[in-house]
Amino acid sequence: MTAMAMANETTASNEMTNPRIGAYLQRLDAALAGVPATEKGEILREIETHILDSCFGAQDPSGTLDRVLRLLGTPEELGDRYATEFLLTRASRSFSPWLLLQTCWRWGRLGIKGTLAFFIGLFGYGLALGLTVAVFLKPLFPGKVGMWIGSGQFVIGITDHPEATHELLGRSFVPVMAAAAFAIAIGTTQALRWMIRKRSRADSPRRVPT
Amino acid sequence: MANDSNGDRSQQWEAQLRKGCLEMAILACLWQSRLYGLEILHSLSAKSNLDVAEGTLYPILSRLKAEGLLQSEWVEAETGHPRKYYWLTAPGRRRAREMADAWSGFATKLALIVQPVVGNHVTAGQGGKKR
Repeated sequence: MTAMAMANETTASNEMTNPRIGAYLQRLDAALAGVPATEKGEILREIETHILDSCFGAQDPSGTLDRVLRLLGTPEELGDRYATEFLLTRASRSFSPWLLLQTCWRWGRLGIKGTLAFFIGLFGYGLALGLTVAVFLKPLFPGKVGMWIGSGQFVIGITDHPEATHELLGRSFVPVMAAAAFAIAIGTTQALRWMIRKRSRADSPRRVPT
Repeated sequence: MANDSNGDRSQQWEAQLRKGCLEMAILACLWQSRLYGLEILHSLSAKSNLDVAEGTLYPILSRLKAEGLLQSEWVEAETGHPRKYYWLTAPGRRRAREMADAWSGFATKLALIVQPVVGNHVTAGQGGKKR
């Protein structure tokens, strides 16, 4: 059975049993955007089963349903948690800077470590990108782009006063900066992957009510 | 005001402690048998006093499965709808054992440190009653 079929069946069976459950699952379906269809179908089916099991044989079905839905959280909150867990798991195995940054941005909403990881990623990838741009501009503007020192300043990139400064590296600028950009990008990627893998499991749940 | 602040910090610390133990507790619940989500919740509540919200448990189960620590299967139940049962994979059993060993050693040593505090608390309570 495909995920979509499972999801549709889930929703259809809910609408027959209780419109509130159906409405909850429809909102959860929408909140799970970004989660693959197979996973989404499994999640919807499991949450439906949980609600039905929790209400099964209850003396006060309406009150029990209220309590169960409250403990699940809003569909948007629940969907956000699933999506974050999914992204973190995927990113821990990925080398994509975009996915790693996107994941750290989302992770940052759960705690300080995620915020720190996001800024490390932003700085590292930003630096690597800046150096890469400088590498491509050097052959086009050899007199303006480079590593400059003098007059109390040190510049990597474009200087407006090349005559007032001394250029370091010279022709070696391109290979050295290309290697540095590559090393910084790889280092940032490995650091983010390490942080995501080593993330405290405690960061995953938002709350554990007592 | 100071008492309120200390009380809040104490509650926050306890909440962090509970959160930190959650993954180990979930894996430990599944050590002996296959369970579905609601059974895991009941087991956590009854055996460990960890009253986990449903909205917290299911995303964690999903992650543990994605990490290859758990496996799952839908099984028809007498209630008329299937239930998703979870069990530990070989890496899951290794992780559970590692976490349990670390926890056990940590808790034993920490118990020695807090023993005078707990002992004084009991003695003080008894002393108060005598007076």
